[in-house]
Amino acid sequence: MTNSVPELEDADCILITGSNTTSSHPLIASRIMKAKEKGAKVIVIDPRRTHIASLADIHVKQNLGSDVAWINGLMHIILKEGWQNQSFIDERTEGFEEVKKAVEGYTPEKVEEITGIPKETLREIAEIYAKSGASSIVYCMGITQHITGTDNVKSLANLAMLTGQIGRPSTGVNPLRGQNNVQGSTDMAAIPNKYPGYQDVTNEEIRKKFEKAWGGPLSPNVGLTVVEMINAIEEGKLKGLYILGENPLVSDPDSTHVEKALEDVEFLVVQDIFLTETAKKADVVLPGASFAEKDGTYTGTDRRFQKIRKAIEPLGEAKPDWEILCMVGKAMGSKGFDFPSPKEVFDELAELTPIYHGADYDRIEKEVIHWPCKDKDDPGSPYLHKDGFARGKGLFTPIEFKPPAELPDEEYPFQLTTGRLPFHYHTGTMTRVSPSLTHEVNEAYIELHPEDAKALDVKSGGRVRVSSRRGSIEVRVLVTTGINKGVAFIPFHFAEAAANRLTNAAALDPIAKIPEYKVCAIKIEKIDGREA
Amino acid sequence: MDKLKNHVKELLESGEIAGFLGLIDDGGHPVPYLFTKEHLDRLDAMVVPDFRYPMTDILLRIVRKYPEETIGVMVRGCDDRALVELAKNQRIFPELVRPVGIACTKEMAEACRCSQPYPREIHYGEKVEGVNDRSDLAAVESKPLDERLDYWMGQFSKCIKCYGCRNICSMCFCDQCTLEDETLIMTGQSPPEIPIFHLIRAFHMAGRCIDCGLCEEACPAHIPLRSLYRKVREDMADYFGYVTGMDESEKDPLEFLGSEGYEVPSKIDET
Repeated sequence: MTNSVPELEDADCILITGSNTTSSHPLIASRIMKAKEKGAKVIVIDPRRTHIASLADIHVKQNLGSDVAWINGLMHIILKEGWQNQSFIDERTEGFEEVKKAVEGYTPEKVEEITGIPKETLREIAEIYAKSGASSIVYCMGITQHITGTDNVKSLANLAMLTGQIGRPSTGVNPLRGQNNVQGSTDMAAIPNKYPGYQDVTNEEIRKKFEKAWGGPLSPNVGLTVVEMINAIEEGKLKGLYILGENPLVSDPDSTHVEKALEDVEFLVVQDIFLTETAKKADVVLPGASFAEKDGTYTGTDRRFQKIRKAIEPLGEAKPDWEILCMVGKAMGSKGFDFPSPKEVFDELAELTPIYHGADYDRIEKEVIHWPCKDKDDPGSPYLHKDGFARGKGLFTPIEFKPPAELPDEEYPFQLTTGRLPFHYHTGTMTRVSPSLTHEVNEAYIELHPEDAKALDVKSGGRVRVSSRRGSIEVRVLVTTGINKGVAFIPFHFAEAAANRLTNAAALDPIAKIPEYKVCAIKIEKIDGREA
Repeated sequence: MDKLKNHVKELLESGEIAGFLGLIDDGGHPVPYLFTKEHLDRLDAMVVPDFRYPMTDILLRIVRKYPEETIGVMVRGCDDRALVELAKNQRIFPELVRPVGIACTKEMAEACRCSQPYPREIHYGEKVEGVNDRSDLAAVESKPLDERLDYWMGQFSKCIKCYGCRNICSMCFCDQCTLEDETLIMTGQSPPEIPIFHLIRAFHMAGRCIDCGLCEEACPAHIPLRSLYRKVREDMADYFGYVTGMDESEKDPLEFLGSEGYEVPSKIDET
């Protein structure tokens, strides 16, 4: 997030898109509700009437994968009406003319045709977002999990820069990161092209710094992303895989393809707190410790350091992940794994990572610190880009709308989008073992529009077979007006009827390599009583 | 503070209590802790912070595990009212619980709008007068009925069904919770079915709620739950002359109608 979570409470306008905030980030939703009670306008652009959508001042259901079009459409209207922040554009950004040209063709009429958002509503959203004192954009996987994921994010950045709704409190472009520590794991460089703190692996100077610190040669090459790894197994290029705290058999797209790859890979290690579907395929399972069984730090979605303290000793043979990794490192004969505790790991990190440089255990014990925190006197950065962007001037990027990779056709006439429920987390590893949560929901279902349900001759509670080019699952039906005609939704938490049997792993964002979980083509068939 | 620590130390050393449920400083964070005779040195780190934990809820877990032992517990006014009600409901045996009383400061009493910010017996702090403030109820009552309904429905619609209100409640001690009965409230929905989810809870708070306000503090959706239950509490006082948490010998008219029965107050007929 460019801005910190508490700042949301003081926003005048919050534009939420592709985030089921009340389900996936309920405590952030609670800040948004507070802001609304203080008079903020809440706008939700989402294909489903989620809980947060039902509480919003404006909710529109865009067509799946049409995000670049409506964002360009908002910019088109803002420029036509002169609502842009020209001094911000002139002083703080570059590339404005190109974007101005690019959005010229996105007239409200054209945008309505692509996105399904009525042109009057689009104008209303543009006016509220541009003219409010502090407008904040909140987004999540509904924006990123498309072949145009990077384009979608850049478009939101264009919109924020156009209106100067960034670099001030309660504004910004705010992706809500998952779990308690997805931000932390990317900070730690659990991404293939960076060293900790987003330092490029291809930069020789940086590589030398880490070679010196870690006492050995390091690869100058960018590695593989998760989805690329699975594909590389299939191509025979990847022989061993070590998975920590992930359950790709349920969470990755096209599960049938993932399952085959995990069976084909020569050596599979899985480290987790429970025996996941993926761990069952492993040659070696290493028991990790849960949050309550270890000391350390997390980095929250707003770049805030959070210290955690061990409440109980790890159960059974479990150990904290860092300890297991050090043991493996030592067993492989590497030096530099002699950390007595997580504190020394953090110290090394702060030493080598400019954005963490000013943080230490004593400070984060007492102070609220958001990175970047460059030295001991730096109070940290609740919001970014106050006086300038990381690269100097903010770069506008002209972006054209591209349709999703797989569109409905005669054989697969429906569009599927996937997402979450409030009662389960991700692949259910942690939540489907909870009696109170499984009491709420313990079965996948498909949301269908009443007209589609009627045409298929199914009612809520009836069973259907849902198939895509990749696979097929059986689920119950939930008829709802909360979704557009022709669109279906399945929560992906349930391994036995995994929505990811259906999703498309072949279509990736060309830059981020994120798969298009949020759109694919499906067919739906009624299962009659006898068969069920 | 030393006096308090010594008092607890004496209780433990003399064997009058087997354990004392208080709060301890753990890396700058006060957390619940069961002090025992074996680790009396831990009493050095005992603290009385200016915020609250649901002490009696934690006590119930300890009592369930050690039903024969006498347990000491740090109580504020609200916790002490909870003990009274728990005894009436036979969740604790008063002779096996030794309250050690903390009087709340004026600031805390005002922040909590607490009508009785002190326990029956005070071992720490100075007693300050209670705050009688029903402005929250008056604000809701000043709305016309249809607006009032909209107000509450709007508030309830924010609920994310986290059960935080129930889980933190000192008086939610039932083995089976009606809120989880799927024949009454459909499962798997967030917000849960409104207003029934909240009304069931409100009705169950009648004759039970001790007005500690922890539910409202815990609610991540900022639903003014305490106002709702304060109203129920006020009704119990108005119609039945019954105020929870005051007197162990007084019976809850809704729980103990029995063969003796209660005379239906005339006020009900008028309304």
